[in-house]
Amino acid sequence: MLREPLTVGMNAPRADAFTKVTGKEQYAADYYPPNLLWCGVKRPSYAHALIRSIDISRAKEMPGVAAVLTHKDISGSNRLGILEKDQPVLAEDTVRHYGDSIALVLAESRYTLQQALELISVEYEPLPAVFDPEAAMLEDAPVLHPGRKHAFLETEAGVAWLEDDGALVIVASTQTPFRDRTEISHALGIPSCRIRVIAPYLGGGFGGKDGITVQAFLALAAQHSGGRPVKMWYSREESFLAGTKRHPAILKYSLGCDQEGILHALDCRIVMDTGAYASLGCEVLALAMEHAGGPYRIPHASIEGIAVYTNNPVAGAFRGFGAPQAHAAIEQVIDELARIAGFDPLEFRLKNAVSRGDTTPSGVTLTQSTGILACLETARDSAAWRERERWESLAPPFKKRGTGIAAINHGIGYGPVIPDNANAKIELTGEGRLIIYAGVSDMGQGNAATYLQIAGDILSQTLDNMELVLPDTAQTLPSGSSSASRTTFTFGNALIGAAQALRKRILERASLLFTYQFFEHVRAEDLGLVPGHVRHIPTGREIHLSFVSTTMDQSERTAANSYTCPVNRQKPPTGGSLRIHGYPHRVYSFGVNLVRLEADILTGEVTVCDFIAFTDAGRIINPELFDQQVHGGIAQGLGYTLFEDFLVSEGRILTGDFGAYILPTALDIPDIQSIAIPLQEEDGPYGMKGVGEITINGAFPAVANALARVCKTRISSGPLTAEKVLAAISRNEVGKNR
Amino acid sequence: MMEIFFPDSLDELWAIMSANPGGAVMAGGTDLLVRIRKTGRKPPALFCLERIDELKQIRENEKVIFIGAYVTHQRLLENLTVQKRLRALWDAVSVLGSPPVRHSGTIGGNLCTASPAGDTLPPLYVFGAEVDIRSKSNKRSVSVAEFITGPGRTSLHSGEIVTRVSIPLPAPGTISRYYKAGKRKAMAITVASMAVQAKKDENGIIELIKLAWGSAGATVVTLPEAEEFLRGHTLSEERLRQAGKLVSAGVTPIDDIRGSAAYRRMVAGNLLLRLAHEN
Repeated sequence: MLREPLTVGMNAPRADAFTKVTGKEQYAADYYPPNLLWCGVKRPSYAHALIRSIDISRAKEMPGVAAVLTHKDISGSNRLGILEKDQPVLAEDTVRHYGDSIALVLAESRYTLQQALELISVEYEPLPAVFDPEAAMLEDAPVLHPGRKHAFLETEAGVAWLEDDGALVIVASTQTPFRDRTEISHALGIPSCRIRVIAPYLGGGFGGKDGITVQAFLALAAQHSGGRPVKMWYSREESFLAGTKRHPAILKYSLGCDQEGILHALDCRIVMDTGAYASLGCEVLALAMEHAGGPYRIPHASIEGIAVYTNNPVAGAFRGFGAPQAHAAIEQVIDELARIAGFDPLEFRLKNAVSRGDTTPSGVTLTQSTGILACLETARDSAAWRERERWESLAPPFKKRGTGIAAINHGIGYGPVIPDNANAKIELTGEGRLIIYAGVSDMGQGNAATYLQIAGDILSQTLDNMELVLPDTAQTLPSGSSSASRTTFTFGNALIGAAQALRKRILERASLLFTYQFFEHVRAEDLGLVPGHVRHIPTGREIHLSFVSTTMDQSERTAANSYTCPVNRQKPPTGGSLRIHGYPHRVYSFGVNLVRLEADILTGEVTVCDFIAFTDAGRIINPELFDQQVHGGIAQGLGYTLFEDFLVSEGRILTGDFGAYILPTALDIPDIQSIAIPLQEEDGPYGMKGVGEITINGAFPAVANALARVCKTRISSGPLTAEKVLAAISRNEVGKNR
Repeated sequence: MMEIFFPDSLDELWAIMSANPGGAVMAGGTDLLVRIRKTGRKPPALFCLERIDELKQIRENEKVIFIGAYVTHQRLLENLTVQKRLRALWDAVSVLGSPPVRHSGTIGGNLCTASPAGDTLPPLYVFGAEVDIRSKSNKRSVSVAEFITGPGRTSLHSGEIVTRVSIPLPAPGTISRYYKAGKRKAMAITVASMAVQAKKDENGIIELIKLAWGSAGATVVTLPEAEEFLRGHTLSEERLRQAGKLVSAGVTPIDDIRGSAAYRRMVAGNLLLRLAHEN
C-alpha cells in the first residue's frame, strides 16, 4: 500500500497510525523542556463570591516556588472569550463558578505546586448563586438534556517558553492555534506577532479544546518564569472542574400534523445553561435552533431559544454543538406524533422529510445535496427494520426488545458571517519530496492523513514521499479551527488548489528539462507525475522530482491557496442577531440511525444489540476514516444517551472523575454498521461533506424511541439510566404483566 | 514519601510490619491506590504481598477449597473447581472490574476493603466461607460474616493479615449463582447484587437455600425470612415474586450517585426472579 500513489476513495493508511501506536508521536502533554517549571491554578471555594483579599505571601516564600501571580500581574484586558469576551484569565473581584481561577503558581515540582496552592488564602464574601437556568418555567414535561464532559484521553496540556528575542512560544493541545494567538494577545497585552502557537496531534478534543484552556496561563507564566520553560497539565479531576461541558438544555415541544400525517406546525422553546461564562453558548444555541425542527418540512414554526448564565460549570463547544440536544427532542416528538396519529414512524418521516429545494422549519432553503429521503428509504428496506417485530417477539425471559430510529441533519461550517476560510501550502523540497503545511489541527479524526491523500492523488505520490507540518503559526497558514464538521471540507478545498498549482508548475518545468534533453519542444500535456518522478509518457523517460526542484527558487517550490466557503445568504425574518452566531448554513449532512436494544425488566439495564447508521455525508475520500467517524460518534452518542450523568449540585460537580462519571466500555458498545449514502456535494472537495458531527446526533433519540416501545412511556430526561428505565417499566402494564 | 516493601515470606513481613508502624498492606492495590490518590493521604509504608508464595496457593480436598489471600480474581476465574462447584463466586469474578483489575485484584484484598459493593463477598456469605487470619504471634479463623463488621471495616487487629479463605464445597446437585446490576457492563461498581446457593429435591422442592445481597446495606445483607419463605416450595415465578417483596422490604440500602435506595430495593427483590429460569 505504501508503494502505490495515494488516491481519493481508497483506504489509504493513516499517516499518524504507526507513530501513535508505537508511542513515538509527541502530544502536547509529552513535552518536557529541560529545566521546566510546573504551573497550576488556585480554584475558589464558592460558586459565586466576591474576593475580599488574596494572600499569596506564604505560598511565595515556600522553597521551590518560583512565582505566584494574580490578576495584578496581567497587563492586558484580562478577558478571554471568542465572541463574548467575559472570562478573566485570573479573577479580579468576583468568582462565578468552582472552576474559576484566582492565582497562578509556578513551582519546581508538581508536589510543591500542590502544597503552594494550598498555602494561598482567599477571603470571600459569598454571593447568592443561580444554578437553575429556568426554575420558573417547568410547567409541562420537558425533555431535559444533560450536560456531559468530553473525556478526551489527553487532558488539557501544554508548555511555553520565551525565545532569546522575547517572543513567546506555546505548544498546546488546541483545536484553534491561530485564534488562540488573538485571544491571548487581547487578554495579556502581548502583540499577536510575538506569539507562536504550535499544535501537535491532539489526544482528543471533541470541542473541549475549541479555544483557550491552559494557553493563557502558560503565556502569563512564561513571562514570569525567569526565562525558564513552563508546563501545565490538568489532572482528570481538574479537567472536569475547569474544562467546558456540553450545554444542559431544557426543550419544550409541540408539534402538529393533519389527518394525512402531513406536519403543519411546530412550537418549541430551548433553554440552555451556559454556566458562568458565555464561551460559545450563543453559537451552540443558534445551531440548536437551526436544527430544532429536524430534517422536515413544517410550514409554520416558532422556535425560541435562550442561553442563560448561571454559576454552574462553563458549557461550550462539544461535538454536535447544540444539534444533539435539538434532535433528542424533535425526533422523540416526531415518533410520539406518529404513534398518536396512527402512522408507522418511518413512513411518517418519509412523508415529511425535506428534499433539495425545500425549506426547513428554521427557514433554510436547501440548495445543496439533501440525502435524507435516500437514507430513510435505505433504512426502510433494511432487514433490521422489516423484521423488527419478529425480532422483538423473540426476547429471552425478563427481557423486552425495542427498535428505534431517528432522522438527523447537521450544518457544515461556520455559517454566513465569520468567513469559513482555509489557506493551504504545499512545498516541493530539494530532495523531491512534498511537504503539506496543515494549518488546522488534527484532534484524532484523521484529517491530516486525508490531506496527504488529497495531495498524493493530485501529485500521484506515495505516502513515503510526503510529509506533514502540523499547525504552527510560524510555519503553516491560518486555516480556522478544527471544528464544525468543516476541517477537511474547507482545508481540503484550499489544498486542492495549492496542489494543482504546484503540479502545473512541476510539469511546466519538467517540460523545459525534457526539451533540453530531446532538443525538441516537449509539451506539458505529454508528461505525467509518477511516484518520485515526472515521466515523458511517449518515451517513458523519467526525471526525478529533485531535478525538477533545481529549476525553482524557494518561492516557486511552494504553492499556497486560499479558499473561503460559499455561504447561505438568506436572512432569517426574525432573531436578528442569529446570523453573527452562525445561523443559517448552506450545506448539511444527513443521516438515519436505527437501533435494536434489549431492556432487562428486572434491573432496567439496557443492552444495545446493534446499531446501523445510514449517512449522507457526501462522497468519501477515505472509507475507513469515514467509518471511524461513524463508529466513534455513535459510541460517544451512546455514552451520553445511556451512561454519562454529569451531576452538579449547587454548582459543584458530583461526578468529577472516571470512577463516578460513567463512560461506556467496549462491552457496552454494539456492532455498528456504517452504510454510506454518498451523494455528490458540489461545494465539497471531491463531493464530500463533513462527517464528524452528524454521527453523534442520532443515538439519543433512536435509543429513546426504542425504549419508548419497551417501556410504553417516555423518560423525559437523559441519560436513560437503568434506574429510570426500571421506573418507567414499573409505571405501566409492562411491569405488571411480566 | 512512601516506602514500599516486597517481603518474600510471612516471617519477613512480620519484621517489616513491626519496624514500620502505620504502613498499609497491599494485596493488588486496585482499591488502595485509588484511595491514596483520591484522599492524598499516603501511608508511610506499603507492604506488598505479591512475593509471598504461601499466600498465592489454591489447595483443595473433597470437602473444602483453600484459597490464598493473594490469589487474583483472574486465577479464580480460571480455576475449574471454582467454575464447576462454586459457580456464584465464578460469576462474581467474571463481572468484577475488567481484565486488568482482575489480574491485579485479589480475594484477600476484596475482603479487607469490605465494601458493601465488593463482588466476591455475597458468594462467600452464601457458601459459608471462613477467613484465616494471622499475625506474628497468633492464628485465628472467623466466618466471613464475623470478619466484616461494617462498610470498610473488618475485625482485623493491628499487625494481622488475612492469609487465606476456606470455602466448604457444596454437595453435588447444588446450584449457585451471582447476579449483578451495575451502571455498565465492565468496570462497574455494583449497584445491587445477589448471590444464591440452593439445592432442590427431585420434585424441584427447595431443600436448602442461602441468599445474600450486595450494595443493599452497610455490609452484605442476609434475610433468613426470605430463605425460610422459599424453603419447601418450588421456585415458581409467583413464589419468587412474593419472596422478592420480602427482600425489597428487608434490605437497607442507601442513596448515592450510583442509584437511589428505592431502586436498589426494587432490584434486590427482582433479582430473585432470575431463579425461575435456572436449573
